[in-house]
Amino acid sequence: MKSWKLNAVILLTILGLLLPAAPSVFAAEKTVVIGYTASRTGKLNVEGMRQIHGLNLWIEQVNAAGGVKLPDGTVVKFAAKDYDDESKKERVQELYTKLINSDKADFLISPYSSPLADAAAVIAQQYNKIMITAGAASDSTYKKGFSLVYQAYTPASRYLTGALDLLGKLDPAAKKIAIIHEKDKFSTDVVNALKAYGESKGYQIALFEGYDSGATDFAPFINKIPADANAVMGGGHFADTSTFAKQLFEKGVKAKMVALLVAPPEPKFAELGDAAYGVIGASQWQPEAKYSAEAAKKAGIEWFGISVADFDKTYKAKFKEEPSYHSAGGYVAGLIVEYAIKKAGSTETAKVKKVLDEMNLMTFYGHLKFDNSPKAHGLQVAHEMVYTQWQKKDGKLVNQIVWPEAAQTAKAINYFPR
Amino acid sequence: MKFWRQPGFWLPLALVFLWGGIVLVLKQDTIRETTFTVMMFMALASSLNILLGYTGYVSFGHIVFFGLGGYTGFFLISEMGWPLYPAALAGGALSGVIALLVGLAVLRLRGAYFALATIGINEAARAFVSNFGPFGGATGLFVNFSAYEKYGGAGQALWTTFTFLWITTLVVLLVSYLVKHSRFGLGLQAIREDEDAAMVMGVQAPRAKTITYVISAFFPGIIGTLYFFKNGNVEPGDAFQLHMSIEMLVMVMLGGMGTVLGPMVGATAYQGLRGYLLTSPIFKDLHLAVAGLILLLIILFVPAGAVGWVRGRLPALRRVLE
Repeated sequence: MKSWKLNAVILLTILGLLLPAAPSVFAAEKTVVIGYTASRTGKLNVEGMRQIHGLNLWIEQVNAAGGVKLPDGTVVKFAAKDYDDESKKERVQELYTKLINSDKADFLISPYSSPLADAAAVIAQQYNKIMITAGAASDSTYKKGFSLVYQAYTPASRYLTGALDLLGKLDPAAKKIAIIHEKDKFSTDVVNALKAYGESKGYQIALFEGYDSGATDFAPFINKIPADANAVMGGGHFADTSTFAKQLFEKGVKAKMVALLVAPPEPKFAELGDAAYGVIGASQWQPEAKYSAEAAKKAGIEWFGISVADFDKTYKAKFKEEPSYHSAGGYVAGLIVEYAIKKAGSTETAKVKKVLDEMNLMTFYGHLKFDNSPKAHGLQVAHEMVYTQWQKKDGKLVNQIVWPEAAQTAKAINYFPR
Repeated sequence: MKFWRQPGFWLPLALVFLWGGIVLVLKQDTIRETTFTVMMFMALASSLNILLGYTGYVSFGHIVFFGLGGYTGFFLISEMGWPLYPAALAGGALSGVIALLVGLAVLRLRGAYFALATIGINEAARAFVSNFGPFGGATGLFVNFSAYEKYGGAGQALWTTFTFLWITTLVVLLVSYLVKHSRFGLGLQAIREDEDAAMVMGVQAPRAKTITYVISAFFPGIIGTLYFFKNGNVEPGDAFQLHMSIEMLVMVMLGGMGTVLGPMVGATAYQGLRGYLLTSPIFKDLHLAVAGLILLLIILFVPAGAVGWVRGRLPALRRVLE
């Protein structure tokens, strides 16, 4: 009897010693919390809600696929914790501090728009948390000495420059450009770069005017557009740019090209009807994008994640709406975190940061690579814009990719004459 | 009777002193951030109350001093390399000087005309700053993250900023009490009741109003600098938000106009409620509607504000609830 007890004790002791060494048999599960604030209400809510949808879709899919398996056998699953920042900066730092300390967020996604992301970045950096920015396109965010902030979007300085290349193709004789833009950080960064690029290409910037955020009457600006201007460019965010496009149409502006920020790529923009026709938008991503594993292989770049077609299909099925680049931006922000954790084999900030610094990746959203110099750390250097235009197909408005030529789904048409 | 023997003098100061002190002892970042938001609006509402509550002049654009002072202080920090404390004081001083110049012109207006003029000043300031090169125009200014190293890193810088705000709030409340109970303050209250009669009685209304305007503008300038330093950037859209002016007015009305304690109670209740609704799992999607409804009910049924209501019903507490 005694020896039986002794044997049992020895057996249990051996089992106890072996258990920690056999994690693959008894895999632990870890939930990584992705924390963010989003513009659920306020002036940026259209863009903000799309971003939330995209991120939620990624969480659902990555968890359904079994999460990320780390080399030590731990299975990482993801959960989101978010608050409404009302599209205002006042509570951003308070909410991010709460996300990190009370909600124990492991990784952060930025709020939508550069000013809000800048305030959140101070907190992320302070707590040694990696933050992926989606919807914070201003270049200046990445020149402030942050080392843990990574940009998913093409920066503002490269937002509209491609539209000028398109104009050169559409009308080689074009000379005059009118730029009317929202006077906020993002839009001003975009048009300052556009102006410099235009002048370097020999264009004359015939009008360069800014309007206040929240403006609803653009008549004073539209009246100043020279009659012989070949292109009207600028805008700002969804609400103001939509109204601006509507008033350009109502005033009968006779420019060959109208290229605006943020609003035209949104499917909701089609609600403007004829005012949307011919308007070109700068988009971070379109459902017609041709990024694929094959294209990545051909270019010698690593491919990761869902295909464009699958993202489009699953997004539509879940949210009963067309995905926009804001939706894709939300999804890819999560995808970047997933890739980095998988590659690092860890959720530790230092290891994940190292992967992000060296990352050169192709996804459904396009090519992603971050500047890893101290001067502009985290700035997106590989991702390219596509330019879309609302055209008519069978009498219905459809958004076509018109630039770059390699990604074209239709040739660009004139805004005027129609 | 000496003012320091009055419980009404000590109560607001003691409450804020204890609150800030506890936050500093606990050293919890989440509590600090929540307190920062509440205390910032407490100090802003109390500053506005010095003008609104004591003279009855409604300033819809008081946030202009937060914006201009904040811009100036931030400019001195980011472009001139000034330390936070003198930069914040300089921001406050500039706000005071601008209030002096503006006050000489607009304080001749009364009632709705004055209120409308203050909105115009805020919009004019935003338009000016949006086009003012040294302040970065529409893209604003920023500090490099390394700037926080001078203060012992970003974490310590946020604590330093909080401490400065806490002290500023205490000073605002002290000044508010001293103005209210001074001969000068009695003149202001006479202006509030009937400006013409006050002038007949010997109150130098234009001078008194201008001095009050300067005092009420000085503190928002300091607070603006602290807020933008903490955020690491400043731009016109954030600095001159009219809705913040409206919120300041709501807080003053909610707590009790013309009382020292009122704006404190109003700011705590309003910001506390907003903060709770924003992060509550039940209300987070309905927070704006719920906050609006509660405010409507309070303003409908307690028009004198919380402190005014209690003072009206319990005269014994009037010496305590100043």
